[in-house]
Amino acid sequence: MTDAAVTQSGRPPFWRNVRVLRWVFQIGVLAIVAVVLAWLYSNYRTNVARTKIPTNFKFLDRPANFEIPGNAMSQTAPVRNALVQGLLNTLRVAVAGLILATVLGTLIGIGRLSKNAVVRTLCTVYVETIRNIPLLLLLLFANLGLVLQVLPRLTDAWEPLGLAVLSNRGIAIPWYVGSGWALLAIITIGIVGGRLVARWRRNVFDRTGTRARTGLWSAVVFLAAVVIGWIAFGYRVTTPEVSQRLTIGGMRLDPSFFALLFALVVYTASHIAEIVRGSIQAVDRGQDEAAQALALSGFQRMWFVVLPQAFRIAVPPLGNQYLNLIKNSSLGAAISYFELTNVTQISVANSSPPVPAFALALAVYLVISLVVSGLVNVWNRRLALATR
Amino acid sequence: MSTPTSATGDERNNDNEVNADATTMVGDREVIITLEHVVKRFGDFTALSDVNLRVGRKEVVVVIGPSGSGKSTLIRCINRLEQHDEGRILVDGTELSDDIRNIQEIRRETGMVFQQFNLFPHLSVIDNITLAPRQVRRMPKREAMALGTELLERVRIPEQAHKYPRQLSGGQQQRVAIARALAMTPKVMLFDEPTSALDPEMINEVLDTMKDLATEGMTMIVVTHEMNFAREVADRVVFMAEGSIVEVGTPEHFFTNPREERTKLFLSQIL
Amino acid sequence: MNSPTRMSRSRAWTRHNLFRTWFDGIVTVVFGSLAIYVALRLLNYVFVTGRWDVVRRNLKLLLVGRFPDDELNKVVIAVAVSVLWGGVLVGLVIGRQRRAGTYVERASAPAKHVGLLVARFWPILVAVAALLALSDSVGPWIATLVIVASAVVGRAGGVVVAGRVSSAPSPVKAVLGLGLVAVPLVVLVALANVLGWDEWGGFMINLTIAAAAIVMCFPLGVLLALGRASKLPLLKASSTGYIEIFRGSPLFVLLLLANNALEFFVPRSIAPGVVVRAVIVFTLFTAAYVAEIVRGGLQSVPPGQDEAAKALGLSPAKTTLLITLPQALRNVIPAQIGQFISLFKDVTLAGTAMGVFDLLDVGRTITKQPDFAGQRLDVESLAFVALLFWVGSYTMSRESQRLEKKLGVGT
Repeated sequence: MTDAAVTQSGRPPFWRNVRVLRWVFQIGVLAIVAVVLAWLYSNYRTNVARTKIPTNFKFLDRPANFEIPGNAMSQTAPVRNALVQGLLNTLRVAVAGLILATVLGTLIGIGRLSKNAVVRTLCTVYVETIRNIPLLLLLLFANLGLVLQVLPRLTDAWEPLGLAVLSNRGIAIPWYVGSGWALLAIITIGIVGGRLVARWRRNVFDRTGTRARTGLWSAVVFLAAVVIGWIAFGYRVTTPEVSQRLTIGGMRLDPSFFALLFALVVYTASHIAEIVRGSIQAVDRGQDEAAQALALSGFQRMWFVVLPQAFRIAVPPLGNQYLNLIKNSSLGAAISYFELTNVTQISVANSSPPVPAFALALAVYLVISLVVSGLVNVWNRRLALATR
Repeated sequence: MSTPTSATGDERNNDNEVNADATTMVGDREVIITLEHVVKRFGDFTALSDVNLRVGRKEVVVVIGPSGSGKSTLIRCINRLEQHDEGRILVDGTELSDDIRNIQEIRRETGMVFQQFNLFPHLSVIDNITLAPRQVRRMPKREAMALGTELLERVRIPEQAHKYPRQLSGGQQQRVAIARALAMTPKVMLFDEPTSALDPEMINEVLDTMKDLATEGMTMIVVTHEMNFAREVADRVVFMAEGSIVEVGTPEHFFTNPREERTKLFLSQIL
Repeated sequence: MNSPTRMSRSRAWTRHNLFRTWFDGIVTVVFGSLAIYVALRLLNYVFVTGRWDVVRRNLKLLLVGRFPDDELNKVVIAVAVSVLWGGVLVGLVIGRQRRAGTYVERASAPAKHVGLLVARFWPILVAVAALLALSDSVGPWIATLVIVASAVVGRAGGVVVAGRVSSAPSPVKAVLGLGLVAVPLVVLVALANVLGWDEWGGFMINLTIAAAAIVMCFPLGVLLALGRASKLPLLKASSTGYIEIFRGSPLFVLLLLANNALEFFVPRSIAPGVVVRAVIVFTLFTAAYVAEIVRGGLQSVPPGQDEAAKALGLSPAKTTLLITLPQALRNVIPAQIGQFISLFKDVTLAGTAMGVFDLLDVGRTITKQPDFAGQRLDVESLAFVALLFWVGSYTMSRESQRLEKKLGVGT
């Protein structure tokens, strides 16, 4: 007995040693993966050598040979510039889409929990219809059915109140004239000022119990900042008007931009609505009852007790939807909206090497995804700390 | 009780236990489990510090102590659910090392019963019991089913064979878990607070099953808070605190005349 | 006797759900009349003003693409066999559950049973009705009958087989299992013999690509999930890398890349056609999402399960295969179905990115035929395509909710 124990107490042979086996297993798996990758790479080398297609990124400096509508970019400008314009167009539609989809989705999600049967039913029908239709189909519908079919020609464009011009050549809305950077600064000052005032109001509330009304106060401060800045910097508003065969003044949005934005917002909102609804329902009913027992009003129960908890549940899936929206903006290529994917595709058609060009596009999307999911993680962590 | 307890009067503090025949014998019993200078850390926290213990064949050892004292970690180290950092653990002559064969061998020879039962919810009761014999011991299905039925009779619930765990009461589930462990015909049974998750009225049916096992001569290490069980069934009681064994003795010694202050304090709190 | 209480109950419902406050009343009236107006316009469009000729004349193209006319019976047979096969699978599962006593029997009266089936599958009935209304020959009627009959026969047969097979010797079981695996492959190859995959089109190619990718992405996804959940650092890192790269990439760009550049990565002799390319991309892409779902399932299995299996002496591989993985997969069935619905819808991207002649692509093409060009028939065509997609994915998502309740899993 004891002898056996003593003889076995030494190190086991390596083929029975769990530590060794673990590494052997991992290296084995990785070796298979490496062989596959090496095979792909060697095929790539052979095929590239055969077809003499370049594998480097020098194509970025060659002239693009195509134009991007709405941008003063000449045909001789390098591919690099075209890609940057494409990226900007991607970001433009993504940012607008994120904001609008969040607003619409939240409204519909809350609507699905409404006590009013009509509102409830309408929101449910919206979600169950849109969610189960391919995004590309919605996009084509928005482009072919709405923008190009419903909107009139430019010659008989709709001009509601003389403020905007709606036609199948695009939608023009009133816009400001002046420095964009200064406007950004003004808005930043407004937000910071609003938050400072809100903090002061909360202090007052803590000391005296007077109602804080933080929303009202910060809105007033924000508006004041914007109005003062607007006057001080001499901003003007231009409204668009039709002049011969184009619109002048205001800001013109491409029809394809509008169609893409419409489809992305409508589609993503249906998913966000489900997240919002699920998160509110996931908050323990006991929480609402406890708040009721404390005699909080309906609004107070929602605002101080239910929503903060629902929000925490909603953030991770919401982040996924944001990522999806950004990636889905690549469908703009299907309706000739000049975002990153479309520009890449066109430049490949104009003899940029496909592998480096698409690899570059993928890398850009990957970076955007990483940045956004990083932001969502930070946000999530802060919420987790605050409402633990 | 299977044997008179007076013969197992190994009442010295374990740290002193280094003489020659103590490595092969506990009292008049052959040693089946040996822990020597076992240390287990979780990060900075030391769960076990220099634990020494020998358990003899057919002996019933009850481990008691405040929560967080390392009782569960101790028995989880014995079948490698936790990997000890220092020292040696031998079960029936086999040392727990990085040798995959030894780990599997020791797990086959030791049965374990958990606080939360840990029955497999996607398998019926009989499948829970026959899984390991068939998969590990390569027992033919017919034979395994016969064994399973016999074990269910032994834990007194033969009629539940084709139900699923969630359809059973807690006490029944824990008895199935005991039967499942017994199906591997282990040499040692480890019990990790087997009654702590049970409703009070179900505790006795599980304890009775365990008493039967002890009577039949099973070697058992039991972590529990059931002092009556310890008093009635244990050959030795081990008291642990803060990762060390504070005192070892017969139940008689333990509950009437404990030596260490720490033990006295603990017993006064729970009795 | 009964009616007054019922009256007052419905009045109470109305007050509570429609007119709680005066504001609520206004909302009800405004949105209610808006909804009625839209619904009426929609009905008018569907039955009166809609110019459905473009769909009617291209029905075959939309459903099966350019499959030769005189071989269409083979498609019907293939669908019938697939449905029979699916019915047998469902029947087998139900049969097993009955034996285990976990199957909940409901609604014994046949009329009630039919009623429940209609309530469950009404979208499919709507789609079939639309198809039959648009067809002008007797062929589709016969096809519908054959397919429905084979579904019923398969479902009933599966239950019977499940009862018989439980006591059958294991070689018989093995043969049956192999047969079940072989059926879809045989169907696929038989159809491909009539017309090569790359020539397929219409709804048929959507369903084929989706089904092929689902079957193949699943094992890859499970392996990746196990890799990412494992404690082995190299394995974990490489699985995580794969998952994050594919989840961070737009599917559309991956499809474009495969379309433009796949031939660079394989020898010229085996460069695959568009359909195979599409299946490869969908498989690799969806596997990353499946992996994340399965990983969630693995995390939802309590650690005690793993410990109990190990304590019984099961090897790590057997512990995973017999204990943790089955529980994890069961917990994530609804999420998986959700992912597969996405895949079903995403196949449309292959039409635009790779030139696969899929349903949506057909829908865009037919409005440009000489007979219909310039008549702005996009809405009619897209509406019909949308109906088919909606029916498919709405039915799947409802079935998944049903399953979720039945299994008692999910969120």
